[in-house]
Amino acid sequence: MAMRGLAAGQRPPYLMAVAVFVVLCVVNAILQPTFLRFGVAASNVAAFLPMILVAVGQTYVVLASDIDLSAGAIVSLVNVAVVSIIDGMGGTGPSIALGLATGLALGLVCGLFNGMCVAVLRFQPIVTTFATGIVFAGVALWILPEAGKQVPPAVYQAYAGAVLGVPTVVLILLGAIAFAVFAGRTPFYHALRATGGNMQAAYQTGVPVGAVRIGAYTISGLFAALAGLALVGETASGDPLIGGALTLSSVTAVVLGGTALKGCVGGVTGSILGAFILGLINNVIFFAQLPFEWQGLIQGLIILTALAGGVVMARGRQG
Amino acid sequence: MGAAILAWLRKPLTIAMLAIVMLLVAGELLSPGFASQRQIITLLKVAALLGVVAAGQNLVILGGREGIDLSVGGIISFSAFLAGNLMQQQNALLLQGVALVLLASFGIGLVSGLGVTLLRIPPLVMTLGMLGVAQGGLVLLTRGVPSGRAAPLLTTIVNQPLILGLPGIVFIWVLIGVALTLMLRRTTFGFNVYAIGTNEAAAALAGVPARRTRALLFALSGLFAGVTGILLLGYTEYVFVGAGDQYMLPSIIAVVIGGTSLAGGSGGYAGTMAGAVVLVLLQSILTTLNIPPPGRQIVFGVTLLALMLLYGRQRRLRG
Amino acid sequence: MPILQASGVRKQFGGVVALAGAQFTLEPGEVHALIGSNGCGKSTLCKIIAGAVAADAGRLLLDGREVSFAGPRQAAAAGIGVFYQDLSLIPEMTVAENIFLGREPRAPSGLVNRVALREAADAALAQLRDVLGAGVSADARVAELSADQCQLVEALKVLAADPRVVIFDEATAALDRNQVAALFERIRALKAQGRAVIFITHRMDEVFEIGDRVTVMRNGATVLTSPIGETTRDALVTAMVGDAVAAHARRRRHAPGAAVALQATGLSAAKLEDVSFELRRGEILGLGGLHGQGQSDLLRALFGALPLRRGTVQVDGQPLNPYGPRAVMRRSVAYVSGDRARFGVMAIRPIFENLVISLLARDRRWTVARRRLEGVIAPFIERLKLKFSSLRAAVSELSGGNQQKVVIGRWLATRPGVLLLDDPTKGIDIQTKEDLYATMDELCSQGVSIVLHSSDDEELLAVADRVLVFNGGRVVAELSGEQRTRFALYQAAYAAARPAAAA
Repeated sequence: MAMRGLAAGQRPPYLMAVAVFVVLCVVNAILQPTFLRFGVAASNVAAFLPMILVAVGQTYVVLASDIDLSAGAIVSLVNVAVVSIIDGMGGTGPSIALGLATGLALGLVCGLFNGMCVAVLRFQPIVTTFATGIVFAGVALWILPEAGKQVPPAVYQAYAGAVLGVPTVVLILLGAIAFAVFAGRTPFYHALRATGGNMQAAYQTGVPVGAVRIGAYTISGLFAALAGLALVGETASGDPLIGGALTLSSVTAVVLGGTALKGCVGGVTGSILGAFILGLINNVIFFAQLPFEWQGLIQGLIILTALAGGVVMARGRQG
Repeated sequence: MGAAILAWLRKPLTIAMLAIVMLLVAGELLSPGFASQRQIITLLKVAALLGVVAAGQNLVILGGREGIDLSVGGIISFSAFLAGNLMQQQNALLLQGVALVLLASFGIGLVSGLGVTLLRIPPLVMTLGMLGVAQGGLVLLTRGVPSGRAAPLLTTIVNQPLILGLPGIVFIWVLIGVALTLMLRRTTFGFNVYAIGTNEAAAALAGVPARRTRALLFALSGLFAGVTGILLLGYTEYVFVGAGDQYMLPSIIAVVIGGTSLAGGSGGYAGTMAGAVVLVLLQSILTTLNIPPPGRQIVFGVTLLALMLLYGRQRRLRG
Repeated sequence: MPILQASGVRKQFGGVVALAGAQFTLEPGEVHALIGSNGCGKSTLCKIIAGAVAADAGRLLLDGREVSFAGPRQAAAAGIGVFYQDLSLIPEMTVAENIFLGREPRAPSGLVNRVALREAADAALAQLRDVLGAGVSADARVAELSADQCQLVEALKVLAADPRVVIFDEATAALDRNQVAALFERIRALKAQGRAVIFITHRMDEVFEIGDRVTVMRNGATVLTSPIGETTRDALVTAMVGDAVAAHARRRRHAPGAAVALQATGLSAAKLEDVSFELRRGEILGLGGLHGQGQSDLLRALFGALPLRRGTVQVDGQPLNPYGPRAVMRRSVAYVSGDRARFGVMAIRPIFENLVISLLARDRRWTVARRRLEGVIAPFIERLKLKFSSLRAAVSELSGGNQQKVVIGRWLATRPGVLLLDDPTKGIDIQTKEDLYATMDELCSQGVSIVLHSSDDEELLAVADRVLVFNGGRVVAELSGEQRTRFALYQAAYAAARPAAAA
């Protein structure tokens, strides 16, 4: 078995994301000397976690050459549903368990619905998931018109706490990574990439293209739900608008990480890096103490440049 | 004869017109006075605003290759504020204000177009990035404090009734509609747009300047968003931050209702104009029925999904 | 008992009848060739057998039992394997992943066993090691492979599924002789195991070399089925076309002039090495040799669709820098691709738009004067014998041959001085081919020069005044006059490329 060097075609698409991530960490450490301290790092992870989770779920959909523009709305929906259930049932232990389980189930159902529209009814993904996003966001508003309600201390303390010295948020992150590693080795993953790479060819080969696409959307719904739960733990209350910006940010993170929107190329590693990059850019802008009116523009320009870089990297594997 | 009528009935433009009539009738039945002249004029004014930005969206979608412009909302807000700041409520500065804003919005769109054609960044990603830049640019411009007012002449042109009680904005919209349709059907540029939307490789080999044409489409989308911003300023006199955000999604939906295929290469602006009116009517009916915002949103989203059933379905994999 | 039986199969796509009661039987251990002109229904029939298309009516029997496939998965499960003409490979995935897509070796945990996957791929590749060429390994991305390598990988993919019935639809289009021979060996091995093969090809040679029986289809129905030994080429062609057709031998009527229309010197590109030639007025210059040796690349480079590394081009004595199609077309050079679906037609647009688009591009007018343009293209429509219902109808409604005529007509309307034709008659029916040859003759008599690349050797040798034979991106021989024989062509095509030192 010959050992292959990293020829141009073998470069992993997330390579640039790694480089940018390292650069940002260095810059961040310079601007904020406490950056590398354990507590600060953990709180950064806590802040980025929802975005990371949504980006992970989005990756599977994008690999199949689809897109999920309802992800942020699912986050909001699960967030308010969980809080409403826990609050409504008195904040007891069983209510927490029920709330969490319902939240996850809700995410799965939303993802399933998206998948059915796109794969079975053959709706165009961009506009359709915009539409379902509007519906999910509307239901979220209906359940909880204004931010509020509380969850018992047990919830947010558990979220902010640690298990065996490892912060809960880091555990969740590791869990997501473990899932990705496992999923990446399944036959489903091959089928997923084939569907995104050349759907017609995959279909002709006998790949269950419809089921694969539905599966991807379901995973996206599940991870969006996890993000919603994480936000419950973080803010200790419900907010129907909390997921708003997460949708487009998740797409940005996925592209930054070198995953191609046309499918097949890329993976979860890049998306996680991309989400970190987005968060770190925010930090850097903040700590650089640039004039307030310039911050937005500079952030936009940096993200635009990084997006361009991500696209070129995902494509650069071709000669 | 029967077959011809059936074919005519299936055309998206016809369906949209029928929907307009049905919505008007339904609205009048549910709330007498809904279809009064004054109400209809107000509806048309709002529809005109949506219709103009939808013109730009229509163009980029026609160009194919998953063309979409997510930045229009940001450009509208930016343009409205820029116009207000340049005009400073003085008629003498109206013309130069308009000229500069059109130049700026065209330029922003052109940058998107260059990113899409030269760097081959997918439109979804590029315009998403430009949205961030436009929003950042807006903050820079206003330093966070909304300011600037329309020149009185602008407000008059936009709002004052001219013929049949219809204000200038409606005529401007119709003028744009006629000009755009003529351009698409009777000019080489129009033929080129349809060509690259259908099959860019074949078009390029047939001598069509594909890249230049596509870049121009995005520039025009920016331009139309700029026009919308100016008209918006005239309509409301003062503009609030984020005023343009609500136009992005509806602009895409209006194009879909109008029968322009999301794959590119077929469709026209007449349908989009009807689509804009349908959307505005729908919003209005939902408000009239006193459905609370969450309910309105849900109905809106569901209606969209129903539309996808009619217009947004893609090819089967199995012949 | 036959492995497969199809009877009374009907299929309609919109208003077009693709199959009108087709019959077909397949015995175990046989290679059954399926031939017919374009649009005869052979591909559709095979897609129905493969489950990729649903029949409107008819019966399909597998081992005597009636079956009906809901999709390709079910057909594959029933043991039917298909080599698709447009390939079913995923470009961004590796050779190994493609060959075993959907059937990846698993570890006991249910996860994919990557090591076993690579080993199985290596074993599969070893079967065709001699003819695969460099750069093909289990980990290579399919996007990096050449066209013939892709076809071989597709063949390996089909065979790896160990099917009982294998359908090869134009499996040899991009392959050279050695590769075809290797493929045929694998097919004979299948026969020996009692499997059966349906072999679709446009090459009569292959039909007689590998086929045991042959079926001819025409207009969606089966017109002839015969053991190979009991029929002749002419009989088959007659069955395909329906009338007796003059034998292939055609010679051109007009002699080329002396003036040089186009001159190329030292052209080099990614797959071209130092190509030089002169094209005279009224001449048809053929580009021949094995597939993918640079013929298409030369044409695309001349038209500005492929970047040139070195070399100069002159049109009518004036230098031309072919940096893009628009620059080249302004010098009255036109290009027609043989892949009309991808590079030729804008399918959903009206015929009118397809015909005038290049005129508009060249003339640089801003407005479209419909009446005037209809007048301009009318004579060309007539000359090409283009058949259509209305200029407003979409091009996709036309047959393949007529679609190709539209693409050619688009360029003829610009009155080019040089016409670059890249395999224009591939997959076209015989009648349309004849129409095109006549058009080419007429153009040459008016002083138009043509560079023609054809994958049909006989056509090339009959139509061209001179033939440049390509090998490895270089011109290794020039055949003219009496040298224009298949023997000379292949002798040159297999000759070693001349060493660069000679210049």
